[in-house]
Amino acid sequence: MGDDGDEVEALRAQLRARDAEAAAKESQLQRYAADLRETFKRERARTQELRDSYVATVRALANAVEARDAYTGQHAERVAAYGLRIAQAHGTRIADDRQVEFGFLLHDVGKVAIPDAILFKPDRLDAGERALMERHATIGWEILRGVEWLGEAKLVVRHHHERWDGNGYPDRLAGEEIPLPARIFAVADTLDALTTDRPYRLGCSFATARDVIAEVTGSQFDPAVVESFGAISDAELASIWRKHS
Amino acid sequence: MSVRTVLIVDDEPFIRKLIATTLEDVAGFEVRQAADGREALDIAAAWPPALVFLDVNMPRLDGIGACRALRALPCAESATIVMLTAAGPDAERDAREAGADLFLTKPFSPLDLLRLVDEIGAAG
Repeated sequence: MGDDGDEVEALRAQLRARDAEAAAKESQLQRYAADLRETFKRERARTQELRDSYVATVRALANAVEARDAYTGQHAERVAAYGLRIAQAHGTRIADDRQVEFGFLLHDVGKVAIPDAILFKPDRLDAGERALMERHATIGWEILRGVEWLGEAKLVVRHHHERWDGNGYPDRLAGEEIPLPARIFAVADTLDALTTDRPYRLGCSFATARDVIAEVTGSQFDPAVVESFGAISDAELASIWRKHS
Repeated sequence: MSVRTVLIVDDEPFIRKLIATTLEDVAGFEVRQAADGREALDIAAAWPPALVFLDVNMPRLDGIGACRALRALPCAESATIVMLTAAGPDAERDAREAGADLFLTKPFSPLDLLRLVDEIGAAG
């Protein structure tokens, strides 16, 4: 009997040792899990920080362009907001794409290379001056070319003056050859140009702007994009305008 | 990066594998494993480790004894020895007295482990 008792005791001890081993393994795994969780949270926070600093950098660059041009004021921010709203109405996912918003904000970054005498000339530009002015699209694209993460944004900068009929610049792209974000932006840009006060004329109403845009739909603008734009109410456009003026 | 050779000493294969996997590809280490203090000394004599992870509770020769013996070996006296201890001030004091440079309490944090290795590598 005594031997049996010892054996049972030995087995019990073995079991206890095994339990302790299993518990040690489990607590070690728990440490790994906890560290993984913390690492994930930190990475998520850092990604957000990085994204915020990208946005701030893009805004700073856009503001640098605007600072030269007194009339534009918050043009870039406003036109970006119009553009995103039209993209949303168009049912495209590009409205969620940060890159596209960056492209909208930076569309005129190439204007930093355009001399004041041309950029601020109150009279009509002659052919040579106009050619120089038009270079702002490619210059902007060149400025941003090396910035990998701007992706599609660079296409907006390069192609925002293309026309649906192929008579735009710099590449004379036509129809759907023009990247969709650039087609959307073109409408937003014109809308803002028409409805903003200039030194030599007052901005027009949204209703008038709609008429002007309708007139050049199919020649300057993508009809499908203009149709989506048409679905946005004046009240909504006005609220975007108020927010960014 | 001066640390190239890492010896992981623990009687629990699970822990050895976990440490080896955690360090894999981090700094291009060559890793060897030992199941107790004796085996660790045998390996260290032929293959001088730059960094040793040393468990305390092991059969045959425990971590404290192995640490003292390693410090007496000419090929391992300059190695960085990291003791894997239980929590508590006694365990920490014993580890230091035996000649350990650093210690991690079990269950150890893998992030602490990686940071520690990073610092050793950066200092070297």
